[in-house]
Amino acid sequence: MHIGVFVCHCGSNISGTVDCPQTAKAAGEFPDVVYSTDEMYTCSEPGQESIIRAIKEHNLDGVVVASCSPRMHEATFRRTVERAGLNPYMFEMANIREHVSWVGRDKALNTRKAIDLIGMAVAKLRNGTPLFSERFNVTRKLMVIGGGVAGIQAALDAADSGIEVVLVERETTIGGKMAKLDKTFPTIDCSSCVLGPKMVEVAQHPKITLYAASEVDNVSGYVGNFTVQVRKRAVYVDWDACTGCGLCTEKCPSRKTPDPFNELIATTTAINIPFPQAIPKKATINPDYCLQLTKGKCGVCAKVCPVGCIDFEQQDKIEEVQVGAIVVATGYDLFDYSVYKQYGAGKLPDVITSLQYERLLNASGPTGGHVLRPSDGAEPKHVVFIQCVGSRDKSKGRAYCSSFCCMYTAKQAILTKSHLPDSQSYVFYMDIRSPGKGYDEFTRRTQELYGAQYIRGRVSSIHQHGSSLVVRGADTLAGMQVEIKADLVVLAVGIEPSRNSQKLAATLHISADTDGFFMEGHPKLKPVETNTAGVFLAGCCQGPRDIPTSVSMGSAAAAKAMVLFSNEQLESDPQVATVNATRCVGCYKCVKTCPFGAILESEDRWKNPKAEVLPTICKGCGICSVTCPHGAIQLNHFTDNQLLAEVNAICPLPTI
Amino acid sequence: MNVLETMKKCIREALPDLDMVMGWEQGFDTLHATPLFMETAEDVDRLILGPTCVQSLAVHLPSLKGKKIGVVVKGCDSRAVVQLLSENLLNRENLVIFGFGCDGVVSLSRLKKKLGALDFIESAEKKDDRLCIEINGEQQDLPFDDICAPKCLTCSRPNAIISDHFAGPQRTPRIPAKGKTALEKFEEKSLPERFDFWKAQMQRCVRCYACRDSCPMCVCRDHCVAVSRNPHFVSQEATASENFMFQLIHVMHLAGRCVSCGECERACPMDIPLGLLRAKSTEVTSALFNQEAGLDQEAVLPLLSFNIEEETIEEHD
Amino acid sequence: MPPSNDLKDGGELRIIGFLCNWCSYSGADAAGVARLEQPTDLRIIRTPCTGRIDPLFILRALINGADGVLVSGCHPGDCHYVEGNFHARRRLETLKRILPISGIDPERFKYTWVSASESGRWQETVREFTAKIHALGPAPRMTDVVSRSKDLSLEGLLLQDENGGA
Repeated sequence: MHIGVFVCHCGSNISGTVDCPQTAKAAGEFPDVVYSTDEMYTCSEPGQESIIRAIKEHNLDGVVVASCSPRMHEATFRRTVERAGLNPYMFEMANIREHVSWVGRDKALNTRKAIDLIGMAVAKLRNGTPLFSERFNVTRKLMVIGGGVAGIQAALDAADSGIEVVLVERETTIGGKMAKLDKTFPTIDCSSCVLGPKMVEVAQHPKITLYAASEVDNVSGYVGNFTVQVRKRAVYVDWDACTGCGLCTEKCPSRKTPDPFNELIATTTAINIPFPQAIPKKATINPDYCLQLTKGKCGVCAKVCPVGCIDFEQQDKIEEVQVGAIVVATGYDLFDYSVYKQYGAGKLPDVITSLQYERLLNASGPTGGHVLRPSDGAEPKHVVFIQCVGSRDKSKGRAYCSSFCCMYTAKQAILTKSHLPDSQSYVFYMDIRSPGKGYDEFTRRTQELYGAQYIRGRVSSIHQHGSSLVVRGADTLAGMQVEIKADLVVLAVGIEPSRNSQKLAATLHISADTDGFFMEGHPKLKPVETNTAGVFLAGCCQGPRDIPTSVSMGSAAAAKAMVLFSNEQLESDPQVATVNATRCVGCYKCVKTCPFGAILESEDRWKNPKAEVLPTICKGCGICSVTCPHGAIQLNHFTDNQLLAEVNAICPLPTI
Repeated sequence: MNVLETMKKCIREALPDLDMVMGWEQGFDTLHATPLFMETAEDVDRLILGPTCVQSLAVHLPSLKGKKIGVVVKGCDSRAVVQLLSENLLNRENLVIFGFGCDGVVSLSRLKKKLGALDFIESAEKKDDRLCIEINGEQQDLPFDDICAPKCLTCSRPNAIISDHFAGPQRTPRIPAKGKTALEKFEEKSLPERFDFWKAQMQRCVRCYACRDSCPMCVCRDHCVAVSRNPHFVSQEATASENFMFQLIHVMHLAGRCVSCGECERACPMDIPLGLLRAKSTEVTSALFNQEAGLDQEAVLPLLSFNIEEETIEEHD
Repeated sequence: MPPSNDLKDGGELRIIGFLCNWCSYSGADAAGVARLEQPTDLRIIRTPCTGRIDPLFILRALINGADGVLVSGCHPGDCHYVEGNFHARRRLETLKRILPISGIDPERFKYTWVSASESGRWQETVREFTAKIHALGPAPRMTDVVSRSKDLSLEGLLLQDENGGA
């Protein structure tokens, strides 16, 4: 072989603690290395050109780049060597930045380690073989999981570009959290006026199929060809017939049914339509509260329904959908703030969450937009807002900032003033985080124009005193204790990933970070991709995001799907398992361990049992390879010999 | 009819439907038996059963897959058959198993240590719990336990656990003698002592692969990774480290599969105590997975399965 | 040969890491991005999954004279390939428990789980394991000369002669 080694300085990122010229010189001593050099920025255009030049000048048939993590630039350099006519898999990277220069102080030791890592890469490359992709067809259909604003945006953008979209929503209506909001910051425009038309567009779009009250049960397949099992929950109403007239909800006698759309501050009927603008506007029976379903007698709704669409016998239905890509936009839920004993642990009726307050402010909410406190229905005069409840609090396992609470609290303080001109708002905050366009001006306006009093400090206790609440806290700027007699306390409760998102992550084979938010492919360069090809992220499922960012992510995820679908066919990753039929004895141990069913119990032409890999289904984990005692099934690019070569490069075979 | 005659009768009756039946016949003297491949009724006359029938004939079965084969098995041999069946390496319908109750087999290496060279054997016969040998013109009468295969001293399954025909009476399992096992004694040594021990042993190993070739669970045959270049786990140099690597490959490939037949150690011409490695591996996999190889045809290999919560594995932080 | 061949010159020992691509390799990258300083002894081999890590690779490394082998992957239940680390856990635990019979100190082999976001945990893991290997010192080699003590003579070795089988 003729191997070229390129050692990257990465400006001073690597050369600061690694002697790059010496490393390049030492790399030249490795077997088969015919050319080695060091470059300032290997990934830059001149850097890549110099690789291409060297391949031609020195007739290289393998390239090692010692620079950053392969998770960063392996794809970049594979394309580079491919441009020079090399097979992209005749390329290896030595990670001398993340694993060497950035973590070790001693330059001599770092240099030695860098040389070793290059030696390992060279050894692996010498045992490598060119690999070739297979082409396969793409199902040009997108599934969006979650019908909040991010999911709606992704669905509409994709559908507008001509792609068939399946939108799956767990609740009985799309709209997500945004549909519950009254106004939005920093423009104070009506949330449902912004979102409503988009929801209608989803309902009317010829390219969008909506599955509400549905959840994803199982996903199999691979990029371009996923098979998704969608569970349509029983709603006990034939939605194809239901016109959403609402007659049933008027007559339903079970009026004490908790109303999740109103964040449980109000009740609804057992058969209900969550809110007037719901999409789809169909009635749903809550089986836990329906008298017919719990006690077996009632059936009023069935009697009054003019189209006879009530079906008490309805069962969950599983439907199988073929899609080529999936956008996950499952959003968030609020943190359970009852762990905060000092805030009343959820027991004080006039201590409410920010989302409950939105419902009180909302004209379509249970109070018709009049701010009336839950305990006695009185108008509050003094309203206290407490920020960072379950955000930036390590003691509650919530170290992260929920990112948009500062802004909506400012908005709610403004709305309080406009609803109740005589009221006074107090905001306890840790820091005001308002980095968006027009955001800082907005929080200033809250204080300067609307007179909200901002107090920097934490609240230590809230207790009931007669009909009002006594809020004690610290004002750390004034250096004193404060005590406020409040009529209503609104907690800016932090967010956490939507319930069941852990299960969804496992179903989709995507990973989640320590806080449970789905992991993006790369924190900077692949913010809406995941590590699973064909699965994209939008909105709060990836981390706390406000509406504009969620919408941008929705569009970005749709764009990624469009890029995928712009190909008639896709190229498979050739880093899959292959069977050496001569060595295979047909014990099918590999078949038993493959998690994806990618290995078949097959036969050769003499009817000898042999294992056979389906390359498009194989995901390249290599479990099978270790299962096979005689090494008959090997994972391309991570073969036994390639990995052994790396071991032997660091620890040479002992000789007598 | 004694056991042997019953067995011969069974085999003669079954033979017309079979390509071949494997058993043992006398070798070059009465102390040595050699495998017998019976294709005709006359071949059956040469069959013997007794303390010299040491080899596990199960070792030949996987390479005869596709043929209709009969095999004579002792208790320990039958576990290998069960294990091979559970691993889909044999077809039960092509197999006829002739079992009997084993009375223990001799260990030539232990015998050799007692008597010196085993060159001129006139006769060897087991009488109750003694072995009577006429060697170099002298009559020797030895307690059988002193010269039997070590595995027989603790044998809990002397009778074939799977068979289509069973000849003779069932034997009662041995109650293991009190005292430490060889493994327990070995484990009293410190880690460096053990390492030095194996270093010395591996310098003696001649890499003849007798241990592998006699192992009924070594089914890779011509494709053993010990002699392949792709994958190239171990080189052909007969150094201590390469020999040890080979032995440990064997251990890992047998983990959860070893049926403790002791054939590897018996076959070793250098008397390297390979049984220690096997015993440890069996101890480990039994403790971890609560499963012993070669007892249940339906069992799934422990290293091909998993539990989401492993009760026996401490969660590594 | 390159000058790096004898690691012991710099006071370093030979430690090999096998890391799965999706969790621990990413976590190690994240530790780099966060500049979390670590000892330099460790050399990392990237594999797609811990399920790809053959216990024989670890044995090969140890027999070749590696002073320590560290395996790390996704936490059980978080495998990118769903089941890879479940298989790995059984294989690696089996290896770890069999190692003592060979005389190789099982402390020289550690397997653990570090996710992509646990950069701090990765730093701790590397620091602790490196410190442990340094405390154990260089591993004995198969190539070192055997001390011919009495205990190693052939007579002492044939254990099965006394009390039953191996």
